[in-house]
Amino acid sequence: MKRLIDFTLENRLLLIVLGILVLAVGFYNYRQLPIDAFPDVSPSLVQVFTVTEGLAPEEIEKYVTFPVETAMNGLPNLDHIRSVSNFGLSVVNIYFEDGTDIYFSRQLVNERLQEAREHIPEGFGNPQMGPISTGMGLILFYYLEDTTGQYSLTELRTIQDWLIKYQLQTVPGVTEVLGIGGWEKQFHVIVDPDALLRYDVTINQLIEIIKANNLNVGAQFIEKNAEEFIVRSVGLTQSIHDLENIVVKSVNGTPVFLSQFAKIEVGGAIRRGLQTMNGIKEVVSGQVVKLYGSNSSTVIRLVEQKLAEINKSLPEGIKIVPYYQQKSLVEAAVSTVTNALLQGIVLVALILLLFMGSIRPSLVVALSIPFSILFAMIGMRYFNISVNLMSFGGLAIAIGMMVDGTIVMVENIDRLLKNSNRDESRMQIVSRAAREVAKPILFAIAIIVVVFFPLFTLHGVEGKMFKPLAYTVSLAMFGSLIFALFFAPVISYLLMRRPVKNGKNKKVMNDLFIRSIQTVYRPLISFFVKKRILALALAVILIISGLVVYPQLGSEFTPQLQEGTILLRLTMAPSISLEESKRITQIVERRIIKVPEVDKVITRIGRGEIGAHTDPINNAELTIVLKEKTDWALSQSQSEVEVSIREAVGRLPGILTNFQQPIQMTVDELLEGVKAELAIKLFGDNLDVLRKKADQIANVIRKIPGAADVQPDQISGTPQLLIKVNRQAIARYGINVEDVQKTLRAAVGGETAGQLFEDVRRFDILVRFDEDYRRTPEAISRILIKAPGGANVPLSQLTNIEEIIGPRQITRENSQRFVSIQCNVVGRDMASFVEDGMAAIDSKIELPAGYYVSWGGQFRLQQEANKRLAVVVPIALLIIFLLLYTSFNSMKNTFLILLNIPLALVGGVVALWITGQNLSVPSSIGFIALFGIVLENGMVLVTYLNQLRREGISVDEASVLGATLRLRPVLMTAITTALGLIPLLLATGVGSEVQRPLATVVVGGLFTSTILTLLVIPAIYKWFADSKNN
Amino acid sequence: MKHRHFLLIIQSGVLILLLSLAGCGKETDPSGYDEHDEESDSHSEVVRLSQEELDEFGIELAKAGPGKLNIHVFLPGEIIIPPDNLAHIHPRFPGMVKQVFKHIGDPVKKGQTLAIIEGNESLTEYEIKSLIDGTLVEKHLSLGEVITDSDHGFVIANLSQVWAMLKLYQKDIPFVKVGQKVVISSGAGLPESTGKIAYISPIIDKVTRTAEARIILDNAGGRWKPGLFITGQISVTDVDAHVLIPKSALQYYENQQVVFVRSKDGFIPREVRIGLTNETMAEIIAGLPVGETYACKGGFTIKSELQKSEFGGGHSH
Repeated sequence: MKRLIDFTLENRLLLIVLGILVLAVGFYNYRQLPIDAFPDVSPSLVQVFTVTEGLAPEEIEKYVTFPVETAMNGLPNLDHIRSVSNFGLSVVNIYFEDGTDIYFSRQLVNERLQEAREHIPEGFGNPQMGPISTGMGLILFYYLEDTTGQYSLTELRTIQDWLIKYQLQTVPGVTEVLGIGGWEKQFHVIVDPDALLRYDVTINQLIEIIKANNLNVGAQFIEKNAEEFIVRSVGLTQSIHDLENIVVKSVNGTPVFLSQFAKIEVGGAIRRGLQTMNGIKEVVSGQVVKLYGSNSSTVIRLVEQKLAEINKSLPEGIKIVPYYQQKSLVEAAVSTVTNALLQGIVLVALILLLFMGSIRPSLVVALSIPFSILFAMIGMRYFNISVNLMSFGGLAIAIGMMVDGTIVMVENIDRLLKNSNRDESRMQIVSRAAREVAKPILFAIAIIVVVFFPLFTLHGVEGKMFKPLAYTVSLAMFGSLIFALFFAPVISYLLMRRPVKNGKNKKVMNDLFIRSIQTVYRPLISFFVKKRILALALAVILIISGLVVYPQLGSEFTPQLQEGTILLRLTMAPSISLEESKRITQIVERRIIKVPEVDKVITRIGRGEIGAHTDPINNAELTIVLKEKTDWALSQSQSEVEVSIREAVGRLPGILTNFQQPIQMTVDELLEGVKAELAIKLFGDNLDVLRKKADQIANVIRKIPGAADVQPDQISGTPQLLIKVNRQAIARYGINVEDVQKTLRAAVGGETAGQLFEDVRRFDILVRFDEDYRRTPEAISRILIKAPGGANVPLSQLTNIEEIIGPRQITRENSQRFVSIQCNVVGRDMASFVEDGMAAIDSKIELPAGYYVSWGGQFRLQQEANKRLAVVVPIALLIIFLLLYTSFNSMKNTFLILLNIPLALVGGVVALWITGQNLSVPSSIGFIALFGIVLENGMVLVTYLNQLRREGISVDEASVLGATLRLRPVLMTAITTALGLIPLLLATGVGSEVQRPLATVVVGGLFTSTILTLLVIPAIYKWFADSKNN
Repeated sequence: MKHRHFLLIIQSGVLILLLSLAGCGKETDPSGYDEHDEESDSHSEVVRLSQEELDEFGIELAKAGPGKLNIHVFLPGEIIIPPDNLAHIHPRFPGMVKQVFKHIGDPVKKGQTLAIIEGNESLTEYEIKSLIDGTLVEKHLSLGEVITDSDHGFVIANLSQVWAMLKLYQKDIPFVKVGQKVVISSGAGLPESTGKIAYISPIIDKVTRTAEARIILDNAGGRWKPGLFITGQISVTDVDAHVLIPKSALQYYENQQVVFVRSKDGFIPREVRIGLTNETMAEIIAGLPVGETYACKGGFTIKSELQKSEFGGGHSH
């Protein structure tokens, strides 16, 4: 160590160049780092969507979901598979183990999909993988504003699908743009069944004829005068007129045209979702999905540029208006921590100036901040950590700590320089001073890094959330260690001078502050050293107060992060029709728009293009856009606005409401497939039993105090018109089941008969019966089926038509059906709620054999985190113990220092209690950080006391003298750390709620532990002093 | 101020209800379910809604009462020329067409000369004359043509009356009787006619497996063109229903058909037994006595609320 320090002192230029290099590289890396709002906690997930329009959930599960699920079983790194079979849609979520490369997993899934496709019957849809994105991928929502009022929803949707979508998808980092709202343009061939009868044509023949008259072909080329002429035949229908003139058959030389069978018009495709606005109109909108791993801030910026470009190219009067942007969130979150960081730096610098009393040493210490931060940046780039709330939060936490090592170093150099004799050269003094404190600094910082070690072992969501923080703290601390050991002595040597004799007045003035504190402190510590019992009593009182407060704290996973966007989710009865869903949603929208602070309400009902979500039509998501804060009439804060919105929404018969936030909701959904904090899953086979038991469980849970928004998944309740083919009846006419079903499908559901091209835009041609002939069960029963013998037989003669209630959706996990019951917990902590809930279910619900309950959601994450920490924390403590022991070579000293921990805990606990916060992962991290900091303080003091003892001073005297002399570094390190965190404690911006518990714990803990370090440790040092030295 | 606001809502409620469907919406009395007795709720299957909520969510009330339920079946068919009103007129002897007097569409009288033919053997001219009054609908000869077979000639139809022939499927046979009233329509903007079933064929066609019902239609204006495809709506019976409600009042709730009845406490689901129905109305056999107030429209909202309170906890948001 001596040689290393001497080497650095001798090669000052090299060191300075190296230092500047680190700063430069760090800064360069900082500019390259991706910027996100917070770490992406989405799981490694590949989604497989299969759209089979018109198929009921049972059929979807049987024909589509099951083959896909089976094909995916046994994939490498597979974690679990969850599936939802809905009306017309199968979603299979394939979860891989954390850390599995997304492209690798997609490749695996794709290979197996080939296999699955073979097992899915023809015409039952083609499974496709979802976008290469994550829960944080929805970066921008927009809608099309038509100021002219001349464009129909179909036209607007065509503009969205064919103009905007394709242009936006060219933006690097955008993986998909999903349209919703309005109608997708189609050409509707509305068939008159009477005409079919008249001309003796079936609807399926009609479809084949349309397909056969809509074709372009190539026929190679001919040679003509040494030139090649490409031969092509053009027969594509290009307009309604072309379609109308398709000849269906010819009777006695008279052609019968398609127009004699059907009305042909432009219409809207069957839709399973729409978008409404302000309760007055429907709009067309789009969602921009970001590519996995791309830089949010860059992508958002590029998308915005592109949108401005597209806006210019749109038809006059049409404008793209974004209504949700992650940008604001990213900016707000980053600015919250960046502000905290900058304020922290300023506060720390001020403290340094105050305590050090002169500019030069303060400057040396202050330099360690940029060095450590930029050093951390290099590491962040290396470890692929983006700039976000957590990683920058880590730096903000570390600000106070990263100066500690240098403070100790510089303080020692300063002190020795002041007390040095003239014979020693400045370099010798600096070297000696550096050597004196090098070891304690090394150990102290090592301890801080070690206490963060448990965080690196976190898995899943909490791992993804908090590892960036652990990384940045550790990296910054490592940087500060390098700075303190190698750069601080060099820079001190360059900057700090021996005090000049005639500068005595100045010195006195400079030290005035610390001296005045010392004059107060000295008698106090003398008193406590004499009355050790009192010091002990003080410590015990503190600890007891901590023990009293502790059980009163609640616990939660992570405090809710305020995204700044209010989302209201409506769940209506599962059997609701889209029109009714729209009507009710618009009632709610009209209620909300009355709140003066609300600018607009835009709602997505159901789903648009498949990709980001798969909501059924009874789900509506209202995005509430607030006015600029300056235009707010009554409310001051967002929470107040939320209250007034809740009031405005009021009572809604037949509708469940749930206030949510966009990212939180998407992430929650990906994690557990449910949108609440807590998910109780009931597994079993029979859908009826599952439904009944789930209802019972929900009733039991609802009675537990703190339960809110309890809601079992609505698996049942979709009315079906079940048309069962009567095999005897069809046998009499010689009709096949397929004949009946194909006619039914085409007549009632409609069948696509090719596409009509308008340049590159292509639109489906949908053949379907006129609405009058398919609207009611009675009308459907009159649909005629043609028998091979020539007879036309009504459907009612061949089938039994009944109305039944069927399942709405079938959810499966690992090839087993389940129902989940969602629940939020209000006004109490999650852990005790779950305990009560489990007990209640055990005692009150009787489950048949083969049925079982499992608990998931945020609760599960917390439990997992706790389990892992229960192993890792003791290990970390052991390592700390060993480090301390190695440093002091004394068991007693080690214990004395470890005594700091309980007292620090007390401070943290009390601080949480006073501020009304819960125990949570961030607060746990606060405690972890606290460990490191207080141990460091203890070490600084005890090392010095030991040193004084070695110099032959008695224990009592050493205690008083040592404590007084070390008052400055101890107070400085404690206060810088605490002040570094004050901005986080007081911040109110986006993301501050996650950092606040952490800051609270550290500041509170530092308060009590500093009292301990300064008053109790010197007092009881005697009992722990090594007898050898006595 | 508050009072006036309330009045306004009531008035608009009345207006909406008056504009609603027939048999639906005579009930506007908002009394009977104030919020204050909410505490005494021990009945879980009750939905309380204020008049404002009824209005906003489009729930309409009606009083259960008797009505006439007209039950009908729909049968496909076509218009044909009654065989007795059709005359095929051919030259008796082979010969050459010398003169033609009438063309397709021309009205002809019985005994009117249609054409003059010169016999091949006799080389004498003879007239062919119409046998009935009617319209010339087919003409298979032209000037100068030598006619040797009986395929050529005129078809004259008397279209003052036409027959609507309806196909009777097996399932319809028990309901359809001679003498029943039939509304004949052919869609596509053509007018409707009413007639009575005059005849039902005693046997069933071997190929189509249908029987035929005949309706004789007066066709003075010539609007029923033979060959036209038609639909016949036959009133099978007129039932005097003790209680008749619109089908929009019926909801499936817990696998039962229910009607939401307003009681003192609020709306409750009432299981009902349904008798005969047509496309819009249903006869209630049991479960809904005359005079009770029920939701004839918007029952879905009440059902949703009930299902919600099953799992969502009443009024908790």
